[in-house]
Amino acid sequence: MNLNVLIVDDSAVMRAMIRRTLSLCGISLGEVYEAGNGVEALEQLGEHWVDLALLDVNMPVMDGEELLQHIRASEEWRALAVIIVSTESSDTRLARLRAHGVEIVHKPFTPEQLRNTILQVTGLTHAAASNDLSAPSGDFDF
Amino acid sequence: MPQPATTSLLQAATSTFESLALLFPERCSAEGAEFIPLAAACSVTYHGAGTGRVVVGVTAGVLPALAENMLGAAAAPDLQMQRDALGELANIVTGNVLPLINGATAVFKLDAPTPAGEEPFRARDGETRAALTRLQMDEGEAILALFWQAGDPAQDDAPAVAMAGA
Repeated sequence: MNLNVLIVDDSAVMRAMIRRTLSLCGISLGEVYEAGNGVEALEQLGEHWVDLALLDVNMPVMDGEELLQHIRASEEWRALAVIIVSTESSDTRLARLRAHGVEIVHKPFTPEQLRNTILQVTGLTHAAASNDLSAPSGDFDF
Repeated sequence: MPQPATTSLLQAATSTFESLALLFPERCSAEGAEFIPLAAACSVTYHGAGTGRVVVGVTAGVLPALAENMLGAAAAPDLQMQRDALGELANIVTGNVLPLINGATAVFKLDAPTPAGEEPFRARDGETRAALTRLQMDEGEAILALFWQAGDPAQDDAPAVAMAGA
């Protein structure tokens, strides 16, 4: 299964880092969309099918917590798998976010941490979510 | 348990440089750190349980290495991307140092990183420099400082040894 992923972070560098980490963590990806804040994310969700959203918390215009409230209040997106990718460390705020049925990946993170959390929130097995590395690709240079 | 500011800044900075940018710093004396020529410095302001900012400055060799390692770029990212990478690193250091000092229940909001301006490690009016840390790595040096609002009761209650390394 190829996962369509939406990355929501106001930092272009962090979006690029997350995109790169996704490509390294062995998850089979479909389309990867990006948004710089919650409003842009809602626009992307309106235009594309997304299986998984990775949200920052501190963002201008609409932050990750407000975006999450919109997602969970929506008939269409309420079951969307969501991971919060943030520096947020406050137990108070993390508990509030977890009440919305999300998992948290704390920055900085490793590809393994991201992969394990993706498997957890999507309910996929590693085999179902992985690239089939044994398949011949013909892409090797040697 | 809350930790002194200098210890916390050192811990957050070291782990962030290592995990995020694959750079492995060692602490060295902070004496004279304000006068080291920097390639870039940026500041992240925080509000909430306390108010203050964290400043991160790096020398010329560290700035491109940060961006290359964070983005996995084969060619060096342009200068703007390098500065953005430094800003993201500063953001993560800030997010990680605050709970070390203030405990896990304190809630903070971080502003987007901004250029730190001239004399980045000098306290502004109304601020106290709570910690100053100098890190050395193969690529060069990084200087980090934590400032908070003087008279902020939440932060002035933090362990007083914070000032020992400031």
